[in-house]
Amino acid sequence: MLEINRRLPVYLLLDTSGSMSGEPIAAVGQGVKALLADLRSDPQAIETAYLSVITFDSVARQLSPLTELMAFQEPKLIASGATALGSALKLLDEAIDREVRKNAPDQKGDWKPLIFLMTDGMPTDSWQIAADAIKKNKPGNLIACAAGSGADVDVLKRITEIVIRLDTLQPDSLKAFFKWVSDSIKITSQSIAQIAADTPINLPPPPPQIQIVP
Amino acid sequence: MTVLDATLTDGRVVQYVLTDNPPSGGMKKTYFSPDRSCVVQFYHHQSAVHDPQRLSRLEAILGKFNPTITQDKGGSAASQTSADYFKRLFCWPVGIVIKPEIGIVAPTYPDSFFFADGPFKGREKEGGWFLGSKTRRLLPASELGNWKNHFGLCICMARAVRRLHLAGLAHSDLSSKNVLIDPVHGASVIIDIDSLVVPGLYPPDVMGSPGYIAPEVLGTQHLPVDDPNRHLPSAVTDQHALAVLIYQYLLLRHPLRGPKVHSTASAEEDERLAMGSQALFIEHPTDPSNQPRDLNLPCAILGQELANLVQRAFIDGLHTPHKRPAAAEWERGLVKTWDMLIPCDNPGCSHQAFVLWNPHDIRCPFCGTAYPISTLPVLKLRSERRPGQWLADGQIVAFHNQSLFSWHVFDNIYSGELADRTPQAYCVFHQGRWLLINQAMDSLTSPGGNRVPIGSAVELKDRAKFRLSQQPHGRIAEVQLLRIGSSTQVSPASVPAGSPAAQSSCGTPITHMPPATRFSGLPPAPAAVTLLPAPPPQSPGISRAGRVAEASPPLTPHTGSSTTPDYWQEKVKTYATLVIAFGSFTTAITTLISQCHR
Repeated sequence: MLEINRRLPVYLLLDTSGSMSGEPIAAVGQGVKALLADLRSDPQAIETAYLSVITFDSVARQLSPLTELMAFQEPKLIASGATALGSALKLLDEAIDREVRKNAPDQKGDWKPLIFLMTDGMPTDSWQIAADAIKKNKPGNLIACAAGSGADVDVLKRITEIVIRLDTLQPDSLKAFFKWVSDSIKITSQSIAQIAADTPINLPPPPPQIQIVP
Repeated sequence: MTVLDATLTDGRVVQYVLTDNPPSGGMKKTYFSPDRSCVVQFYHHQSAVHDPQRLSRLEAILGKFNPTITQDKGGSAASQTSADYFKRLFCWPVGIVIKPEIGIVAPTYPDSFFFADGPFKGREKEGGWFLGSKTRRLLPASELGNWKNHFGLCICMARAVRRLHLAGLAHSDLSSKNVLIDPVHGASVIIDIDSLVVPGLYPPDVMGSPGYIAPEVLGTQHLPVDDPNRHLPSAVTDQHALAVLIYQYLLLRHPLRGPKVHSTASAEEDERLAMGSQALFIEHPTDPSNQPRDLNLPCAILGQELANLVQRAFIDGLHTPHKRPAAAEWERGLVKTWDMLIPCDNPGCSHQAFVLWNPHDIRCPFCGTAYPISTLPVLKLRSERRPGQWLADGQIVAFHNQSLFSWHVFDNIYSGELADRTPQAYCVFHQGRWLLINQAMDSLTSPGGNRVPIGSAVELKDRAKFRLSQQPHGRIAEVQLLRIGSSTQVSPASVPAGSPAAQSSCGTPITHMPPATRFSGLPPAPAAVTLLPAPPPQSPGISRAGRVAEASPPLTPHTGSSTTPDYWQEKVKTYATLVIAFGSFTTAITTLISQCHR
């Protein structure tokens, strides 16, 4: 059976810069926890979804490598430092290259990864080259979330077409965001075969706290 | 707790409890009524609300197409019995909500469709839990059910789809998500009824779910919806999805998911081809390119009837929709195969039953355990199609504790939703002989031509022929006694069950029944009493309480048990009748023994 089961890789890129410290980072931690609990109640998600967490502050780190849902350990999130978005994008690209199974004549490759990027500020490193590369190569379906008033939507638009805005970093907003992420993963794991490789993915309608940036 | 009112089209008001993150599927979000007896579901998309067809479609589904309401009340059921039966097989909506939003009211599923135990306690038993290799491992053993009950749930499913198609409806999105299953009791319920397709009237609004979409639908999805070559979900695509589900629940693997790579461009492209235009059965007899390495239980273990249907569904009809078996054919094939199931003697066996598919080697294919008694009778059933002309039209393995029902006795009774589920007779292996004990047949006749009263038995000797009923449409049974273990002595008639040769029994007579080598299920009772009335059916694998429900394939949980509490009462009554009828114990025993020897 192993040889024919494709995986749905899911990457969470989370901003852990100093501006997230306090209530926001605690809410993000809670959000990841709730996301796991929700996905673990869905048979299709348990069967296909694999999760990885990459955080970025002054440096970018892959806190959890791509791990199957039931074995995933939620990472400890600490907020401090700057916003190394460029490094995070480079790390993501390397991780996908290393962890996602490719399609080959004798191997069923993984589904196109689903990537959620959340940031609350302006990048502090050089990010443009990495952003352009991601947008051009499309290693996965990337959904970028500008959280709070300090985030720059235009930066995110340079990375991906799908940008959403979260007006505040209040726990309720973050909770709604992670619930929406979870619903998106569930819908994708169920309907993945219907997605034409290059058409936009089918996302569930966002809650009132989230606006889609046209 | 915030309780709100939902107003229905007919003015009724249903209350529901507002929750923060209601369970939500692709189309709707769900709220429970305060007593959790029903759910109120609202559509996500405003467009669905404003779709002028939405309301009229819902009205038609709840009204004239509704198999859970009788015709005189505006539904489509021919009788109340039928309506009540299908209420258990469908979660049919009972009301349309117009305020505060457009939605529907549906009954909550019975408790048996929610996990009672384990890490997913309280969650709906969608089929996916049982099919995924990861999720299945996480389920407690108490939720997995035995193989016989998997046949039972497949019969429920096929019967429900047959009923939809009879009404001119198509489900359009049959999948492991939209059919909840209860393998413990052998039941299933079809949900998400509100998006049913009425061909020509209400077009489908979904393509289906991955893995269940018919190849022609996936293969033509690039065409515009109004293109004449575009295939949309319909009854024939339901037939594909139903075949996939039955194959999956019986063999725990997908019929089309194998190792073959169709495209290296992307997983999505490969999937579209593997399920669409390039779809290839993993057990294809001449093209093994999609066959998994670990495929060791071929579909032949389902018996000839089902193997034929599998071939029509996934070889002949895979890309030729009109060749696919109809739901009614699956239902019939499953019911016939149910009669060929034999309990596995190994209490640790994962499946607890297997189909008699190879009479040369009667052995459980799942655990390798051989049948424990040296002989096994099969009753070949014949019907009088023209005066004096008896045609083979069925068979049933008469294992210890097997029951015969009215649809075995008469050729004009179908074991569907309307059939009486009172056992008519049962088989036992007793003191080295196979007996058929009459429980309710009024004119069972011994091979010698004597009436066999209720509580008495016919001995099942090889080639014995006897009438199950003298009434019109009553069948003849002919015994074929299979010998276990020594293939040299197997009679020439012992060919795969269901094949034409097997239907025409011409076995070599076995004159001496060998003594029982091993038998654990017989109740220890004094010899004088054991034959009168007959030994009650009892075996380690099948508990008394569950017997009726287990023995009658088409029932959903609990419904069969109504006859169970009466069993012993009935037994006692039978006993008393018999004692009165024969005057004394001795006469009774003599009569019975003489009948057995005839």
